[in-house]
Amino acid sequence: MREFKRRPLIILSLSICAVLIVALWFFYQNSPKNNSKAEQFVQEKAALERLIQNSSEIHRLWTEGEDSREWNSWKNECLKSKKIDTAFDESLLRCNPMLIECLAAFNKKADYQFVKQNGDKLYRYVTKSNISHTHLSGTGYLFTIEDNQSKKRLNLLLADNCQEVFLQNRAYAYGEEVQGKDVEDYRFDNFNQNVYIDRHLVTNAEVNDWIEFGNDDFTKGLQKKSGDDLFLPATDLKEEQMMNYCSFRGKQLLLAHYFDAATFLPMDLNEVLPVKNSRSPYYWTKKKSDFKPDCDLIYAQECPAKKPFRLNATSPTWAGLTDAMGGVMEVFRNPIDPESNLKASSFYFNFKSQWHRLGFRAGWDGDGFELRHFDFKGFNPEITIDKFQVGFRCMRESK
Amino acid sequence: MRKLLILLMIVTMGCLPAEKTSLPEAEMKLATEWLYAFSLEEFKLNDIVIERPPGISQLLFKMKIPMENGLSLKTHCVYYQVGYKKIPGKLSVEELKNDSACPETETGDSWLTLDHINKLKVTLASSHLHFDFENKGKKISWSFLLANLEGNLIHEKYEPQKEKKWKSGLTFLRTDADTFLNQNNKFLGKLSDRMSRGTAIRCQQVDKNCNDIGENRCDDCRYGWYSIVDYNCPQGGSKFCGQNHCGEKGEPACPRGIKVVDETEAGICQSDLTPVMNADHILICQ
Repeated sequence: MREFKRRPLIILSLSICAVLIVALWFFYQNSPKNNSKAEQFVQEKAALERLIQNSSEIHRLWTEGEDSREWNSWKNECLKSKKIDTAFDESLLRCNPMLIECLAAFNKKADYQFVKQNGDKLYRYVTKSNISHTHLSGTGYLFTIEDNQSKKRLNLLLADNCQEVFLQNRAYAYGEEVQGKDVEDYRFDNFNQNVYIDRHLVTNAEVNDWIEFGNDDFTKGLQKKSGDDLFLPATDLKEEQMMNYCSFRGKQLLLAHYFDAATFLPMDLNEVLPVKNSRSPYYWTKKKSDFKPDCDLIYAQECPAKKPFRLNATSPTWAGLTDAMGGVMEVFRNPIDPESNLKASSFYFNFKSQWHRLGFRAGWDGDGFELRHFDFKGFNPEITIDKFQVGFRCMRESK
Repeated sequence: MRKLLILLMIVTMGCLPAEKTSLPEAEMKLATEWLYAFSLEEFKLNDIVIERPPGISQLLFKMKIPMENGLSLKTHCVYYQVGYKKIPGKLSVEELKNDSACPETETGDSWLTLDHINKLKVTLASSHLHFDFENKGKKISWSFLLANLEGNLIHEKYEPQKEKKWKSGLTFLRTDADTFLNQNNKFLGKLSDRMSRGTAIRCQQVDKNCNDIGENRCDDCRYGWYSIVDYNCPQGGSKFCGQNHCGEKGEPACPRGIKVVDETEAGICQSDLTPVMNADHILICQ
């Protein structure tokens, strides 16, 4: 009986509780605390937008390089910090992490900062051999930026392909032009290939990245370079190391016939399939006799007295390759005649030398830098060289 | 008495509205995830107000997004239910923890749900996905940057390669310590792989009719890739991962093209070697 009387009371109490809970819930939903939660998301979105905007600016600097207003505002401080005293071709700053390092050091007005990746470095050179990220389309430099206000971070991968050049789909020829009715030129074409070639020889700074981020087994014995050496061609790698370096970057050591393709000036740029590939031995002219003893075209033995050697010392070829003649020697992999794998045209030979001709190659065994490792086919340098400098560049195919 | 209490609790809980994602939270969640999306697929209803079919959920599109450590892909399936009478307009996203197909209708296991979404229009323009809709009578516009969305490659003479995307050459990555561990690296091939040793991995294959067989996996090669000579197809020959030693003994011939030489001379070998077709119809230097 007592139990029967208490039941409505309990039901009433519980009903009040339920109503109170629901009321409290609605109050919570509209409370300032909840509004501040919404505000928090708005703030976070704003932080993300700031990071995206800053990424866009960093990407602009990455591609503009020496043309950017930023470079011109802190160029001197940047070069001083890197101990670079001598002039270099500033187009090498495009897709170059040094530019971003200096941005981080000298641009104090930014509302973000760069986060160190690994040890002291602001970046990590990323290739498919040292990162496992899915859908990685190519190699590049990984930077992380942090929004000063929110501490939110964003990882940017900047591709390092702006120093490559596309080799036009057309018919080409290998080696020097052969005269005579019955002699056939070695011709080939690349109509079903997308070939990209490095504009310039691989630099010491790029090899530094291989030493730092590559597999130690393949870089043993190599020393990092600094200061003025950073923008000079890497010339102390043996041929196998050069091939491994290119592989690290997802590329191949340049093949000799593609070097010929990118350096022999086509007689008619609009005719991609000529009947014959006539060619001049000089990349700047169609005339076979138009040799010019000019240090801006061939950086020969006479040139160091006139201007110091640097990478990209000479004008680009029709396809955009620099240092096609003169400067340091350059090795290729020659799949036709493997013993003719060296562009001997270099500052070891004067302007009168036979070597200053496109398609005419010496040999290098790839294993050392003393004279005995080279085959100059009887046209040896007239000066004594203890250690020859041999540079290289890479190429790749693309889909 | 106990039964009564339980009943009351159920009724009370039922009265409580389930915690819904607010619009700012949803916008932030989507922006943070979709920024990294590599692909947008099955996207059909571009730039039109979606009004059909009323009251039924439909798949709007699917997105492939890297997981937090970037090691694999997950899938976002985005659904929209057009409001009809008492059925509310609803936008929902279901997350699949791998790269797989989205069911045509939602399963109910949503990663994000937004009610009262009406007159939805989704537009893809300039690497941005715009959402325009009405929420409780208020017009809302969202814009999500799809910075990593992959487009075609552009090959132009004298120029470096460009990608049709928000910023060519810029990709946002998701990384943590696992991303850089060697044991997680699934990319294909070793530096020592050679055709002559039987270790080279084929990443793309064409058949005698010049049809591509299977998926092109050359982007997954750890040390780059190279073409070989097989059927002289317009799109080139099959491709292998690794260091190129074409022209050398036991290795594939280098491609010579077929417009200036006869098909029988389509491969380059060292001058003391002869190109020979092997059993797989690959031109090898012997």
